[in-house]
Amino acid sequence: MTVQTHPHVSRDLRLAARQGLLPARGSGWLAGFGNMLAKEMGEWFRTRRWLWQLLIWSVILGGLIAFFLFVLPVLSTLMAGLPTQEQVFVGTPPEVGAMIQFFSFLVMTGTIGAIILAQDEIIQEKQSGTAAWILSKPAARQGFILTKLLSNAIGVLVFIVAIPGLIILGEIFLATHKVPALAPFVAGAGVVWLALFFYISLVIMLGVMFENRGPVLGIAFGVLWGGMILRNFIPQILYVLPLGMEGVALGVVQGIPLPAIYVSELISTAVLSILFTLVALWRFQKIEL
Amino acid sequence: MDTSNSLVIETQNLTKTYKEAQALKGLNLTVKQNSIFGFLGPNGAGKSTTIKILLGLIQPSAGQATVFGHDVTRDSVKIRKRVGYLAQDPRYYEHMTARQIIDYTGRFFYRGPKDLLEARVQEVIELVGLENKADRPVHGFSGGERQRLGIAQAQVNYPDLLILDEPAASLDPMGRHDVLEVMEKLRKYTTIFYSTHILEDVQRVSDSVAILNQGALVAEAPINELLAGDKGSTMYDITLMSETEAALAGARERVVSQSWVQNLCVTAVDGLTCWQVSVTDEAAAEDQLQRLILEDRSLKVKTFGRKTYNLEEVFLALVEKENSK
Repeated sequence: MTVQTHPHVSRDLRLAARQGLLPARGSGWLAGFGNMLAKEMGEWFRTRRWLWQLLIWSVILGGLIAFFLFVLPVLSTLMAGLPTQEQVFVGTPPEVGAMIQFFSFLVMTGTIGAIILAQDEIIQEKQSGTAAWILSKPAARQGFILTKLLSNAIGVLVFIVAIPGLIILGEIFLATHKVPALAPFVAGAGVVWLALFFYISLVIMLGVMFENRGPVLGIAFGVLWGGMILRNFIPQILYVLPLGMEGVALGVVQGIPLPAIYVSELISTAVLSILFTLVALWRFQKIEL
Repeated sequence: MDTSNSLVIETQNLTKTYKEAQALKGLNLTVKQNSIFGFLGPNGAGKSTTIKILLGLIQPSAGQATVFGHDVTRDSVKIRKRVGYLAQDPRYYEHMTARQIIDYTGRFFYRGPKDLLEARVQEVIELVGLENKADRPVHGFSGGERQRLGIAQAQVNYPDLLILDEPAASLDPMGRHDVLEVMEKLRKYTTIFYSTHILEDVQRVSDSVAILNQGALVAEAPINELLAGDKGSTMYDITLMSETEAALAGARERVVSQSWVQNLCVTAVDGLTCWQVSVTDEAAAEDQLQRLILEDRSLKVKTFGRKTYNLEEVFLALVEKENSK
């Protein structure tokens, strides 16, 4: 490869060109984006994190549904006090009951997982000084935040939603020899992912705004658990916050037309996630590292 | 184009104020291309604040700064494309190896065939002597090894400007020696702007020096000029031997009567008489001072020369003068 150099280009480019290296792509908010994204994705897929996440979520979600589908029917015949599979699945066929249980557990455990996984992303980098190191290179601050957000969104999608979802589909097929309709299942999984993305963007924004983990975890779990208590007293809160997303997901999976409150919940979850992202981007521009 | 006098860094009334403290007070600084510029000051003087402003990591409260003619607040990414930076307490992703850290850094600047980037990474690893540790995770590195890694990652992009914040502060004498040696190796390729409070290092490698105290610039000059002392006067150190006090007194009379002699201090060391003569006219002193003394043939001049200061004397004098204001 030959590279023409101009006398006015800086010396570093001339020397690099001599070696066949070219200037990195990306300027403005895209400066360093590809490199940072590759690194962040590498944290998920090129370290042992992928293995741990695969094990954790396969065991928690796959194990639970496997227990309901394969173990409980046997156990409930042996132990009189145990609820039967029909009772757990509230009279629905096993392939439907298993999906209902999966999405219910997925929203709760997945949200906790997403909060825990994302809580350290910004705080840790600010506290350790690695954020200052990265941003002393030609890397845009917007890119720094967006790659954190994107990598977590992808990681959570793969390990918490997609792989356990495939496992559950396999388990349902093995237990019932029936395959649930894939398109509604995928759409329901998308609804859950949106709920998880809401919490990821919330935690990233809080990580930008605060200097330690306490307020980040406190506010995120406060929204989750406080909201769940509050929705019993003020159900209108579901119009705004993703506190009933398992209901939305199940409605989508079962092809039930969504009531207005669920539609509003879906839209506001998406809007709030974007808002949190914009606040994080704006605030991080001003932070002193 | 003559680039030797081109300015790489220029600040004008650069000010940084935190809630209750003024970290920088109207700093005016110029750093010429291809110089090794020592940025000197006690802890908390504002050195790291200045560096972070130059890199866009913090925003100035007032004033402005340019690097390569680019404004630090508006064109930070353009500046950082041409800069290599080593932080005072460099931190990296601890699970990564030194090679991975340098490779990751390099990819902010370059793309191209993987083997060429790998070759460049290997080149800087060798430059700082980290060959044996290159594939070990950083969390096991000593302070000196981290500093070497810091210089390597700062150098991977062939920077036009290398900014080093206290590069030798946490190192033992051998480590310091190595870092200074690397800096001297790099001086022909790049401008080096580094902060330190180790005066000996500055005196050894710098071309120019700025002294910062409590956020204000106390002095900025080429190192030789600074070590030559006060611009208004020149000091001569003279050692005399005489058998009689009268001969010494006579010589003293002749010297102090000259209009260009500002002051004469006398001390006695090991049976010899030492004079420190402060003069306002260096040419007259060079021409006449020794002759005036030797008019009395019983006097013997053992040593005669312009006094050279060490940086510690200059630094302490300037900082004390500033603190007493």
